[in-house]
Amino acid sequence: MPSSLGYVIWLLATLLEVAVVVCAISRHCFGRYLCLNLYMLSSLFVSVARYLALSHFGVRSGEYWYLYYYSDAVLTIFLYLALITLYLHVFDEMKVEKYVRLAAVLLLAGTALFSYGVVHQSFQSSGKMLASFVFELSQNLYFVGLVLTYVLWGAILKLRESRTQLIQLVLSLGVYFSAFAATFALENMFPNLQFFAYIVPALGCLLPLAWAYAFWRLAPDARMVPARLAMVPR
Amino acid sequence: MSRKLTPLLLAMLVLAGAMGLKTAVMAHSGSAIMMANGGAPVPQPPMANGGAPVPQPPSAQ
Repeated sequence: MPSSLGYVIWLLATLLEVAVVVCAISRHCFGRYLCLNLYMLSSLFVSVARYLALSHFGVRSGEYWYLYYYSDAVLTIFLYLALITLYLHVFDEMKVEKYVRLAAVLLLAGTALFSYGVVHQSFQSSGKMLASFVFELSQNLYFVGLVLTYVLWGAILKLRESRTQLIQLVLSLGVYFSAFAATFALENMFPNLQFFAYIVPALGCLLPLAWAYAFWRLAPDARMVPARLAMVPR
Repeated sequence: MSRKLTPLLLAMLVLAGAMGLKTAVMAHSGSAIMMANGGAPVPQPPMANGGAPVPQPPSAQ
């Protein structure tokens, strides 16, 4: 069972997820970033379901185990769709939505096929193979999301994107993925430190915090002033 | 190249890059958990020891 601090961090992350949806609705951004908000809503419901499973069956139960990994895979797919939505926003003036959607579907199908190929060799039982496939797909989609976020960063720089809210949403996603990768690397370097048990859940607070800030403080149509335009001589 | 093949090429490039990155990161790791959505406590992963068969969950034993 998690400690009191673990419960506090978990509760904080859940409240921040609520804050994202509330801020998006109050600033009329819910529909504009529908997949982001659906991800936050589904994460909120999953948190409640996990708490109920944890309190009823315990952390070592099969029920909690299945609920945790299956819901994690669903949430990772939602996060992937949210990232693709950000791609559509960045490339909306280039009229390439059809190709972005096609590439997203192909990439998701390719990741699922690759994940199936990885677990297919190791498992004979279909029940165990399905659970491992779900876990493998979730992990692989995380790395795909990591690469896609950095590619999107590059596209934003190249296209000189100036929409402040969109940039904040993408940058916070990049920081979120990068922080997980850095924590994972440090955890492997210092495996005996118990400190990391709280870092991963605490990182889960970063993304909803940054997105809530983006929806609450930044106007949907606000734009950054590029420095080179501000320096144009008269 | 056909414009319809470009998404396929890009998807394969991203997938290859992501799986290459995963292989590089996971090669020297003892644990298999890389990411978890939300703040809930993480149960034992199904493939914590390479590709060995997964033991029965406690409720099924």
